[in-house]
Amino acid sequence: MRLRPFALAEPESLPEAVEILARLDGDARIIAGGTALVPTMRLGLVTPDRLVSLHRIPGLSQIRVDKGVLEVGAMTSLAAMARDGALGSGWPLLAQAAARVATPAIRSTATVGGNLCYAEAASDPAPALLCLEAQVRVAGSAGERVVSIGEFFTGFYETAVAPGEILTGVRVPATPAGARSGYLKFCPRSAEDKPLIGAAALLVLDAAKGVGEIRIGLGGAAPTPMRARRAEAMVTGQELTDRAIRGAADAAAGEAEPLSDLMGSADYRREMIRVWVRRLLTALRDGRPVPA
Amino acid sequence: MISIDFTLNGRPCRIEVPAHWTALDLLRDGLALNGTKYGCGEGVCGTCTVLLDGEPVRSCLVLASRLRGRSVLTVEGLDRDGEPDRLQAAFAHAGAVQCGFCTPGMLLSARALLAANPSPTEHDVREALAGNLCRCTGYTKIVEAVLAAAAGR
Repeated sequence: MRLRPFALAEPESLPEAVEILARLDGDARIIAGGTALVPTMRLGLVTPDRLVSLHRIPGLSQIRVDKGVLEVGAMTSLAAMARDGALGSGWPLLAQAAARVATPAIRSTATVGGNLCYAEAASDPAPALLCLEAQVRVAGSAGERVVSIGEFFTGFYETAVAPGEILTGVRVPATPAGARSGYLKFCPRSAEDKPLIGAAALLVLDAAKGVGEIRIGLGGAAPTPMRARRAEAMVTGQELTDRAIRGAADAAAGEAEPLSDLMGSADYRREMIRVWVRRLLTALRDGRPVPA
Repeated sequence: MISIDFTLNGRPCRIEVPAHWTALDLLRDGLALNGTKYGCGEGVCGTCTVLLDGEPVRSCLVLASRLRGRSVLTVEGLDRDGEPDRLQAAFAHAGAVQCGFCTPGMLLSARALLAANPSPTEHDVREALAGNLCRCTGYTKIVEAVLAAAAGR
């Protein structure tokens, strides 16, 4: 089955891309890797007449570290992120989440910018980027602006990227010193599926084994990827006993607002958040590797 | 129509295609290379897997224009002068093929794995092939074939 015909623009610079989008006045879709957009088009859920591909714009698929801050271009593939040495040593949580997306032939094609713009509630990279307090670079005719990841996801499959704007990259501050981190996802069916729920966490223990800092990011737990702030507050400054971890897991399940769909009901998702947050925090506390 | 220059199975290729064609449309309908299969059309089943600059991709999800200037390997490019390559030989020897529909995608995913990791564990093989569905074999013989090819057996 063929895709419904569309006109394809392939700008060779960012200003050209912004200019094309402005000219088309919201009447075009941006295509990055296409792993989300093409199936959506194939299913007839979106029927764009025009696509603007970003693949010819130089520099958008670079990974670099600048003064301790990671800059990942929007067109960087998840596979490239998962295998990048500097990213893996400085931001292991992000590398781990990128490596867990779908299957190899999807990761080779899917991009970090596309993943964020698709705004799948059960995104794997999003909970990691929420924990790392990333910032998203967005370019438009008025120039570039930076949106904190916490304000990026605005609703069910909706983001802060306005019509005519292009997500150009992600800026990730240094992982806090001494942090332990991990990403766990629960795929009740098969690897290529999105997870029912995913949980990322970053934990800094102080000298007395108390929680100096904790950040918990959840996927599939609400209409958008979310931070579990109540759970974080509950254990910050506390010793991470089994009981404290259970309390945090209960809080995360409580503050989640999951949707019901064919993969699982809201109640089931809430229960699985409880289970997987508990497992994740326990593994991090004990210094055990987070199981893949 | 858009014009695309790329390398196909080691040979230069130039072709004009409609802009809305995927790489799979181009391979099957533009170039009559029917080894690459159309399965689900949504990137899930893996039957359309080809290598793009050595990395496995779903050709049903990649627009044909993305091939420009790059190197594509399909199942038709695996054999050497009619002799099966080591993965093809191992698949045949292990009986890793039943209906054959998934086989091209399996071979290419396995090839990408062995290029990146010449001595994979069984777990590595299963992870690498997780996106290639087979409804006949139960996977055991496919995994055995890839491990045998890696071991030079």
